[in-house]
Amino acid sequence: MTNLDDLKSYVDIAVDHAKEKTDGVIARGVLSSNSQIRFSQNAIDINKRWESFSLQLFLIVEGAKTGFSERSVSSAEDVKKAVDDTIEFTKRLPESIFFAGVEDNVHDYKVIAGTFDSKIDDFSDKAPGLVNAAIDAARAQGAKRVAGALKFGKEFQSFRSSYGPEGSTRSTSFDLNVRAFMDELDHSGQGLECGTKPSQALSGMIEAGAQAGRLAKQAVGAKQGKPGTYDLVMNPTVAANVMGFMVGSANPFMVMIGMSPLGDKMGQQLGPEFLTVADDPRMAGGLASRPFDAEGTPTRTFNIYEEGVLKSFVHNTSTAKMFETESTGSSRLVGLGQGLKMLLPDNSNIVFENGDRSFEELLEGNKPTIYVTSNWYTRFTNYQTGDFSTIPRDAMFLIEKGEMKPIKNVRISDSMLRMFANITAFGNNRRQIYWWEVDTPTFIPSVRIADCRITAATQ
Amino acid sequence: MTDGKDITEYCVKLGSELGAKYVEARYENERARGLAYRNGEPISGGTKPSVGIGVRLLVDGNMGFASFDRMDREIAKDAIQVALKMARNAQREEHIDMGEPVANKAKWTTDVKEPLSDVDIDTLMDTAKELNAQMKDLAQFMLVVNPTVVDKYIVTSDGTEITGHISYIKLWTLLTAKGKVESEQKYLDMTQSGGWERIKEGNVVETLGDEVRLIQKAALTARKVPELMERPIDMIVGPEVAGIIAHENVGHPSEGDRIMGREGAQAGESFWRDLKIGESRVGSDAVTVSEDPTIPNTGGFYLYDDEGVKARKRILIKNGILNEPLLNREFGVKFGTGSNGSARASSYNREPIIRMANTYFEPGDHSLEELIEDVKLGCLMKSFTEWNIDDRRYQSKYTGCVAYLIKNGELTDTMVRRPVMETTSVGLLSAVDAVSNNLRFDFPGTCGKSDPMQGVPVYAGGGEVRFRDIRLGGVG
Repeated sequence: MTNLDDLKSYVDIAVDHAKEKTDGVIARGVLSSNSQIRFSQNAIDINKRWESFSLQLFLIVEGAKTGFSERSVSSAEDVKKAVDDTIEFTKRLPESIFFAGVEDNVHDYKVIAGTFDSKIDDFSDKAPGLVNAAIDAARAQGAKRVAGALKFGKEFQSFRSSYGPEGSTRSTSFDLNVRAFMDELDHSGQGLECGTKPSQALSGMIEAGAQAGRLAKQAVGAKQGKPGTYDLVMNPTVAANVMGFMVGSANPFMVMIGMSPLGDKMGQQLGPEFLTVADDPRMAGGLASRPFDAEGTPTRTFNIYEEGVLKSFVHNTSTAKMFETESTGSSRLVGLGQGLKMLLPDNSNIVFENGDRSFEELLEGNKPTIYVTSNWYTRFTNYQTGDFSTIPRDAMFLIEKGEMKPIKNVRISDSMLRMFANITAFGNNRRQIYWWEVDTPTFIPSVRIADCRITAATQ
Repeated sequence: MTDGKDITEYCVKLGSELGAKYVEARYENERARGLAYRNGEPISGGTKPSVGIGVRLLVDGNMGFASFDRMDREIAKDAIQVALKMARNAQREEHIDMGEPVANKAKWTTDVKEPLSDVDIDTLMDTAKELNAQMKDLAQFMLVVNPTVVDKYIVTSDGTEITGHISYIKLWTLLTAKGKVESEQKYLDMTQSGGWERIKEGNVVETLGDEVRLIQKAALTARKVPELMERPIDMIVGPEVAGIIAHENVGHPSEGDRIMGREGAQAGESFWRDLKIGESRVGSDAVTVSEDPTIPNTGGFYLYDDEGVKARKRILIKNGILNEPLLNREFGVKFGTGSNGSARASSYNREPIIRMANTYFEPGDHSLEELIEDVKLGCLMKSFTEWNIDDRRYQSKYTGCVAYLIKNGELTDTMVRRPVMETTSVGLLSAVDAVSNNLRFDFPGTCGKSDPMQGVPVYAGGGEVRFRDIRLGGVG
């Protein structure tokens, strides 16, 4: 039976077995145990547990031929077979255009505090009660039906590169989403909570339920929204999804495959002067916090936007060489379909600077304003121009003469570049967002954006 | 598979001994290979042989699920004990009921002539080279090729024993064509179900070449046609667009778990909740939309679902009236009809939930020419780019990629730039007055649902569909 002790041992076996037969090898062992409680109609539907022990191998052979494999292993023989199979596979590939080297210096990695909850094993027993408390909190606000999911778990990683770097990490995480409904299908609200220490977040989880219930009740009586041009106020959930695109696109790989509008915009003023956004892999409580990247380069915090100006892309060793710059410590094994991952740059935690406006101040203005509390299904007509649309869901309000009136059934149909430039204010309520529609942990406050295009069904 | 089979059976035996009323263990052995290219040059390659078992248990009316990825009895025992304990903690007042026992014993397989496991990496790369050559004149392009085979073995405490073999070639591209003002982009999925012979039989290389030429032409020549915006027009959509409409506006809302709220916090609920199956009209008489997992060489092909229920065709909307939702065993009980074989899991480590397979507008008796000749002012939308729909599946948007102006009964050479159909589901389906006899499954895709996300291969299609008096949208 494999366990934590096997983790480093298997990684060492993989590197030792591969290094004489290859130009280089990076091995990572991942032991994880995750659980999820899903609920709907005010009751738990299913409790799930996943146990996994996987070995990830990234091999470099004959110059710049790169190959990847991931599989579960149970013995030293399994590990050696995985290495031999992957060498055989990789030798037959052509050289990669995206490989120009990996980290080859040995570093001491600074520990990041707060990534592991020592009470995680006890949390499993508490979790069902907590879910029921969140459901009750939503119902206490008036919600009729409550649905959601609470996921939590722990992960241990052991990493070693034949170029020298090696290290290990341990982490815990949780994320809860609660969605509350009134009798009508479109009178709903959502609450979210996430972080690295579930045992310290009990009140936050219950508040997520209460928030979902409050918003659902506020959505009662929602009227059909009218198409037109409005100022938008996005809460952090929506802002993370929509504004996060302009940060995630600051990536040379995305530029090179045509999925970014930022290819020719380095150094340009794209947002307002009060906007600064960092990639921060060392953020306390960040779900993507890590001491070193997938090659073993130490992580560091750097600004992607500074006072509205695009300052930096994320880079790993290879893209940094291609762009004649330094690695930002952002290397990650990025999935490119089933069976394939490649060392490419990617964000860790996206961190927007907090703003100074209260919620009430953010809603102030003399233009028609819509406040959006959740969204989904963001899709692009063109990634290079940023033309897109997304669908607000859950409670949404038209702000008129200082009053919030619930509306429904409209779509945000605009350009990411234009909306980013039109940000007029940030709230002072920054929080971490990570859920179904936001897969890069994003610390962001509410945002006000001027002159956004809102559309609706024609029939 | 011997180790896996033994431990799968052990899981069912152990779960039953520990007090579970129902135990279902599903072993999956998946072998995926991947090659990725950017502008014809290799990004990298990889393999993922994945083996694991997912166990679902029903105890005291509560459901638990556990998965593990090492074929080790001790790990299996631990996982099952934890799943049982967690399930008991749920303490549901309303017990989950799986209905009458299902005890099917069967073997099924995707039709395969040239097994993917026999296809060497050089052959994969030669085909990738051919595909890349079709795209060489584009400004940017990306290609991913993923041949994947999956062996499944499902055992339940009801007595079910199903062995299944799935084989498909996941193929997708991201196309960027340079335009006069700005580029046009399209994500194109060409996934084939079967063995390597599907590359030729599915005309993959030729189809990609055709799509590339069309998007290049659209980028260079498509223009806004103001008169299309001035009044309601007739819209004819090709099988690709018909497919996405069948999938999004009909297939998703027909899912029984959505209708009854189980996906409420994630994929959402369904506007079917407030309607009556067998009575409520949501479209014109010309609209019949079906779902059928049993069609060979389709992404959604299976003959037994992941609960061991025999697959069959389902008619979701019949002549405009709601006819049948998609159901698994649990929701088959809630709807009082039993399962219609819709349970799918994307991997061993996911629970089986209600999913689509192959969704399509049933063909009518018109030719495309007949549909066109009756249109005074309209548009033929052959393919789409951006789309989305709300989580009740009621308000959708489809933006055209390749679209032509129809005027006075004739299809013109004028390409229309990005026409938008932004409507409600009922508004859209009620506007259908005819469907062509040209049934094609031009929309292979990966359907996403649930949390954690489960992406499963599906096909969608139809004949060409004509919508009368549509006011184009996207205007705010």
